[in-house]
Amino acid sequence: MTKLVIYRQASNYFVTNFMKINSANMDEKILITDLINGDEKAFELIVSNYHNLMLSVARAIVGEAFADEVVQDAWISAIKALPKFEGRSSLKTWLLHIVSNGAKSRVRRENRMISLDDGWQAVSSDKFDNTGHRIDDVLTWEEATPEALLANEQLQAAIEKTFQALPPLQRAALTMYDMEGLKMEEVCNILDISASNARVLLHRARTGLHQCIDKFQDK
Amino acid sequence: MIQCKDLTEEASDYLDGDLPLRKRIALFVHLVICRCCRNYLQQIRSTIKTVKVLQPKEKETIDTQALAHKLHALSCKHD
Repeated sequence: MTKLVIYRQASNYFVTNFMKINSANMDEKILITDLINGDEKAFELIVSNYHNLMLSVARAIVGEAFADEVVQDAWISAIKALPKFEGRSSLKTWLLHIVSNGAKSRVRRENRMISLDDGWQAVSSDKFDNTGHRIDDVLTWEEATPEALLANEQLQAAIEKTFQALPPLQRAALTMYDMEGLKMEEVCNILDISASNARVLLHRARTGLHQCIDKFQDK
Repeated sequence: MIQCKDLTEEASDYLDGDLPLRKRIALFVHLVICRCCRNYLQQIRSTIKTVKVLQPKEKETIDTQALAHKLHALSCKHD
């Protein structure tokens, strides 16, 4: 009986997700057709959906100074290549690879390197005693759900400010993995970094934002 | 022997399930006995969920609507 319930739940799960994926594919196909047909609204939609994400990747690879130019070039290449897009990856991943390739060749041309340690502040070691145990108690947050936390507009603004102050590589790793749901393998390919480096960047970004929220809990 | 400092450093990998089994079990055992680390892990979990809901953006330096118009014009010219 229990097995039957589990099978039903599993089957419902797969049907729901299959429908979601198919619906996303359909939406994407319609968007691509509209773009090829020159629908102006479709251009506004694709830019508003993906420009920020592409900018994040470009800033992570090539730095602030050349990022805008690299993203604009990537958009132009993508629009020209759109009729040949075969849909083997999602439109988002395809665009990210185009901007990533453009940024990498710009890095080679400019001979620039961005350090993984750029702007990193570790969790202060005075939080631990010499045996590695915490000195102070860590309490649960009074408001722990996103809705409750984000009801505080000052905190919302502080999170946004902290996010924008993170080093570009950390922002890109966090944006792609935590916010956009890309697989770690994709994140590594796009940023051209190892999985262990990507994990370090992600943890540092999360730690920075955690510290920002935690300060508000003390107030 | 796992300490709070180790858990702080490995919190993301633990939450993402990206640790060897032996390490995972050691951290789990530490979490069973350490309330501070359980609370810390819960805070990191809340941080991830909150950022996902808020979706903070990059500082934009160009007018994206103008870019969309430029790309549209380019695509018409390309035809």
